Amino acid sequence: MVLEATMICIDNSEWMRNGDYSPSRFQAQADAINLICGAKTQSNPENTVGVLTMAGKGVRVLVTPTSDLGKILACLHGLDFGCEMNLTAGIQVAQLALKHRQNKKQKQRIIVFAGSPITYEKKTLEAIGRKLKKNSVALDVVDFGESDDGKAEKLETLVAAVNNNDNSHIVHVSPGPNALSDVLISTPIFSGDGEGGSGFAAAAAAASAGGVSGFDFGVDPNLDPELALALRISMEEERARQEAAAKKAAEEASKEEKGGEQASSSHDTTMSEAVNTSAVIADDKRQNLTDVEAALLEQALAMSMDGAKSSSVDMIDADMSDATAEDPELAYALKMSVQESAGDSSTHSGMSKVLEDQSFVSSVLNSLPGVDPNDPSLKDFLASLQDQSETQQKRKEDSPEKDGDK
Amino acid sequence: MASVVSSVIPRGQVDLVDFVDWSGVECLNQTTSHPIANALKQGYRDDDGLHLESDADEQLLIYVPFTQVIKLHSAVITGPEEEGPKTVKLFANKEHMGFSNVNDYPPSDSLNLSPDNLKEVPVTLKYVKFQNVRSLTIFIEDNQADGDVTKVQKIALFGTTVDTTNMKDLKKIEEH
Repeated sequence: MVLEATMICIDNSEWMRNGDYSPSRFQAQADAINLICGAKTQSNPENTVGVLTMAGKGVRVLVTPTSDLGKILACLHGLDFGCEMNLTAGIQVAQLALKHRQNKKQKQRIIVFAGSPITYEKKTLEAIGRKLKKNSVALDVVDFGESDDGKAEKLETLVAAVNNNDNSHIVHVSPGPNALSDVLISTPIFSGDGEGGSGFAAAAAAASAGGVSGFDFGVDPNLDPELALALRISMEEERARQEAAAKKAAEEASKEEKGGEQASSSHDTTMSEAVNTSAVIADDKRQNLTDVEAALLEQALAMSMDGAKSSSVDMIDADMSDATAEDPELAYALKMSVQESAGDSSTHSGMSKVLEDQSFVSSVLNSLPGVDPNDPSLKDFLASLQDQSETQQKRKEDSPEKDGDK
Repeated sequence: MASVVSSVIPRGQVDLVDFVDWSGVECLNQTTSHPIANALKQGYRDDDGLHLESDADEQLLIYVPFTQVIKLHSAVITGPEEEGPKTVKLFANKEHMGFSNVNDYPPSDSLNLSPDNLKEVPVTLKYVKFQNVRSLTIFIEDNQADGDVTKVQKIALFGTTVDTTNMKDLKKIEEH
C-alpha cells in the first residue's frame, strides 16, 4: 500500500516487431503494462501512473501521472513503432515528469521495459543510476527481447546503482511460451516491494492465464473453493497413504521379498485412503490368491467403497486380520493405520452391504492356503479389531464366518 | 573549552529544535544508516557516534518545516574536520526543492563554513532575510576536503518565534 507515483517507459522501437514473445513483443509489453497499471492503482487508490515512449519520433510523454486507469489504457492504443530506443533521455524525462507530480508525498518510481539492445557504456548507466538514487527515485527494469552480451550486465549495474534498501528490481524474461505478463506477476515489480498487490495478482493470474495457472490443481480457489479443497484433501490423503505404504514396505522387506507395493501407487488418487490400503492388502494376497480372485476381491472392495467409508474400514479389518495372520508385524502396522480411520467412523449406514460383502470376502479368503479362520489366535485378533468398530458388526460377522467354515 | 562550547545560545534567542515539524522533515541523498535525525534531533545530535552522512555524492538537501512561524538568527553546524560541510545555502519558505532546481533560486543566505564553525562556533545569518520563516531548506553543496562523502554531526538553529503567546509565561493575577 505504498503511496507511489510511477512512470512507465515503453520501448516502441523497431525491435518490438519480433514475434518471439506471443503474439509480438510489443503486444506482450502492452499487456504487461495494462496489468501493472491495474495493480498499482488497486493497491492504493491515490497512486498515479504515467506512460511515456522512448522510441518513435522521440521521447514522448503519453500520459502524465494520473490515477485514471481508463486514460492510461486508452493511450496505449495506436502506438507507432520506429527507430531506436533512447534509454537515457527516457529516464531523464520520466524523472522530470515525476518531479512535477501533484502529490509530493508520493514516492517516485520508474519502470523501464528494455527490449532493444543497450548501446550505452556501463559508466553512463551508473551515473544515471546514482542520480536517480540521489533524488530518491526507485527503478524497475524489465529486460526482455534482444539479449546481446553485456545487456543484462549493464542493466544489472544500472539497477544496483539506483538500489537503496531493495527498492529497485530487475527481471530478465527470456522468450518462450509464457506470456510476459505472467512472468512479471510473480516478481517484486508487481507485488510492489513485497506488500499488497498479491490478491490482485492472483486474480489477474486466474483471469488472464486461463488454462495455464500457477495453482496446484489448475483450479482457482477463488473461483471454485470446494473443488480446490476436495482436490487438496485427496492429495494429502494420497500422500499419507503412500507414507503408510512405505512404512509397510520397509517392514515387509525385512521379512520377505514383496514387489506389490509399487502397484498401489498407480491407483486413482481420488479414491479414499481405505480403498488404497485394501489395494495394498490385495497386492499382498496376490502371492496367495490367483489373479482372478484378486481382481474379484478388488472389485468387491471397490463396490463397498460406494457405501459409507466406515463400513469399508470395518471390512478391511476382516481382510487384514485374515491376510496377516502369518505376519504379526504387518498386522500391527495395518492395525495402527486402521485404528486412525476406525476412530473416525461413526455411522451404521450401509451395514447390509458390508455384511454381504464380508461374507463374499470371507468365503474367498477361506480358500487361501495356509489361512485357517478357525485358528484361535486369528479369532482373538479379529475379535479385538471388532471391539474397536461397531459391536453389531462383530456378531454378524462371526456367524457368516462360522457358516463359511465348511 | 567545554563550557564555551556547550550552550552557545545567543542572548534572547531560543533553540528552535522544539518548533521543528518532524513529520515533514526530509533529506535527499542521505544514507539509510545515517539519517537526518542524527544531526537534528535533541540527544542524537550531541551523540558523537551518530552523524548524518551523504550517499551517492557529497551534496545533501535538507528540508525542515516548522510548527509555527519563526525568525531565524543564527545556526550551528558541526562536523568532522575533513568531511564536514563547507558551502551551505539556506532557502527560506521554498517547499520541495530538488537538486536540479536548487541553483535556480538565489539563496536567502549562503555560508562558507570555516573549521571554527565546525567546532560549534555559531554562524550569524542575515536576520532580515529570515523574518517570516515557515520552512527552511538547507543545501550542503560540498565539504571541507572536497571528498565524495559529507558528514554532519549537528545542526542547531537559533531564533525567536513570531506572534505567538507562550502560555507558560502567563502568570496568575495575584489576588489582593
